[in-house]
Amino acid sequence: MPKKLKTRLSLFILLGWALLLLGDRVDELRVYQGASIAIYAIAIGSIVLLTGYSGQISLGHGALMAVGGYVAALASVEFGIPFWAGFILAALISGIFGGLLGIAAARLSGPYLAGTTLALAVGLPSLANQFPILGGEQGLYFDIGMPPQQLGESFTQYKWFYWIAALAALIVFFLLSNLLSSRYGRTWRGIGSNETAIALSGSNPQRLKIVAFALSSALAGLSGALLVMTISTASPSAFPLALSLSVVTGAVIAGVSSLKGVIFGSVILVAIPEIADAISHRVGDTLRISSTLPGLLISILLVFAVLVTPNGPGENLRHLLHKGKSHK
Amino acid sequence: MMGNTTRKRAILASALLALTGLFASALPAQAAEVGVTAKEIKLGITSPLSGRAAAVYGKVPGAMDAYFKHVNANGGVYGRSIKLISKDDAYLPTSAVAQTNQLILKDKVFAIVGALGTANHLAALRSTNLSGRGIPDLFVNTGFSAFADPAKYKTTFAVLPSYRMEAKIMAKYIKDNLANKKIALIVQDDDFGIDAAAGFTQAGLTFEKTIKFPAGKDTAADAQGWITNTLKPANIDLAIIFATTSTTAALLGTAAALAYRPTNGWMLGSVGGDSNTLIAGKVPLAILNGAIGFNFAPDPQDPTDEYVAEFKKIYAKYVPGSTFDLTVIQGMNSAMLTVQALRAAGTNPTRKGLIAAIKAKGSTFAHAGFTPLNYSNSSHVGYNGYWIGKYSATGALLPIDGKRTIYTTDSGSGAVKVITSARPKLPKDGLPTNK
Repeated sequence: MPKKLKTRLSLFILLGWALLLLGDRVDELRVYQGASIAIYAIAIGSIVLLTGYSGQISLGHGALMAVGGYVAALASVEFGIPFWAGFILAALISGIFGGLLGIAAARLSGPYLAGTTLALAVGLPSLANQFPILGGEQGLYFDIGMPPQQLGESFTQYKWFYWIAALAALIVFFLLSNLLSSRYGRTWRGIGSNETAIALSGSNPQRLKIVAFALSSALAGLSGALLVMTISTASPSAFPLALSLSVVTGAVIAGVSSLKGVIFGSVILVAIPEIADAISHRVGDTLRISSTLPGLLISILLVFAVLVTPNGPGENLRHLLHKGKSHK
Repeated sequence: MMGNTTRKRAILASALLALTGLFASALPAQAAEVGVTAKEIKLGITSPLSGRAAAVYGKVPGAMDAYFKHVNANGGVYGRSIKLISKDDAYLPTSAVAQTNQLILKDKVFAIVGALGTANHLAALRSTNLSGRGIPDLFVNTGFSAFADPAKYKTTFAVLPSYRMEAKIMAKYIKDNLANKKIALIVQDDDFGIDAAAGFTQAGLTFEKTIKFPAGKDTAADAQGWITNTLKPANIDLAIIFATTSTTAALLGTAAALAYRPTNGWMLGSVGGDSNTLIAGKVPLAILNGAIGFNFAPDPQDPTDEYVAEFKKIYAKYVPGSTFDLTVIQGMNSAMLTVQALRAAGTNPTRKGLIAAIKAKGSTFAHAGFTPLNYSNSSHVGYNGYWIGKYSATGALLPIDGKRTIYTTDSGSGAVKVITSARPKLPKDGLPTNK
């Protein structure tokens, strides 16, 4: 095993262990939010791969998450497939779906691609209302079951969700960080910045873009399946347009060009409803404001991030540290 | 080189040790019962406060809160005031799950009360496992029959008669009074509608036409399609609307605009049959006049009813300017049941004690309904029937031929029976004193 890989592996194992211990330390609400953070992290990671590396824009990743969510639920409801296999299947089928979509996407760019994917986010989830097998607005019930008894009586359902989501995120980011530091990652980055140069160097940008779209879709599908796990239901309302836009916002806040800020972006997405809740409590009107405030906060953050830290706060921090060092 | 690796390992090992030390200490133990302090009992509710269903059902938390405020102003429950935390689920199952999680995990409520909507609460129940965690789930605002199944949902108590019961009673009325007529059923295509359909099947009633539609797909344009494409061509005699108020309002409003009426008129299920809300939804009184309706509670326009009079007074005091309607009566009635359940659970209420108290004493609680409450050790059923009426020219639901006949049945294969009501008297000032 190459040394770099070994170091990275031990880093991830260490991180996993820390997360495991963290799950025992905090209360149930934080554990549940931890699961959400892991799920958002995967979704944001899929955007980073797509936009930050291969230079393609998607405003419709919520639709790809829906594909994954419904595949996992159908696999369990219709075919009785164990949930973990359902998650793999969700990633696989979303990947294939994304690959097909990628063929179209590779021909489009900029606002055209954004528009197409946006339409997907609006239209696809409500397709469920057309096919009885998908359970209509009420959706499909997806139950991964209680945690194994060996884990003890005090091991809650929420912790079980957290473990699964955190493990999935760790595996995804281990594979993704290796992939992105490989030849593929570099070529993708090349497509993002100068497609002609990549074509001249002998690679096929179209094919590489399709592969990136498929991989990104697979990750989105996995995060959708995990999302459906935490709410036990795959239904159109689980994948609103706001989800697609939140994930993109999370990626922009995280710094779309690198994986390092992904956790930051997902923590913010999970924290926003809490912040909104706190604000509306202070203002006094707990009902009307708290339902609309999260959307407003997300929009403000997006604009703010684009204006102040277009490459993500991680990049700014690095610059700041660099400056500090050079002044010494 | 070797030194470097050794140092890295040492750093790694010490980091691990530090982390273990940091996290290994035990969690502090839980003190007392969740959601109960010396001064307060925290309860939570999810209902639609935004979206299409909000106009009608969004009144439930306000109505419950009005009653709780009345009780709080008069000493609370053994000195504790009741705090109701209300969450908006926009009538979406996924939001209901998220909000119920918030109520349990963040707000740490003692119990959930009056959660609204079949599909929404079903998703929340399954996802949050209230039953397995012993969290009381009282007086749910849905007639889905499975919610009253204690084997499935140990901590959930129904209050509304089930949709199956209602369908069976409708079928009985049709067989007795409108035999051999062409009947159409307009029904929401989810567990709410499926439950009703099961009741009709049980009663052996068949339909000339059945219109199933997904929740929310009930605009005036949809309704126009149902009338012109289905109801009119089939020469329907009686159309049963088994749906929410927004559907009933859209369909009746559109029918009035098209001057369409089935030969024998309309039959409105109780969920969408509150005339005050229908009138507020711009349904002309003329089309409502003569329609058949079902109610277990008194009509909000009935000034002679002691519960209506008291509830109306309390509601006007705490929610001034809001129309007093059937939804408000139901909300306040459930709040009154909640207060009695809390009192019955004793001076130091626990979740377990609360559930045991409803099982043991729930059937004796004071309430506004005309059928008895059926709580017992083996039953989580609240009301089990309806009285049937016709809407008057002013929109009040009045007993047919001036006589209130009360029908009861069960959610299974039991027969539909006629009973005489013996409703408990209203406690003085609407303040329960039960133990």
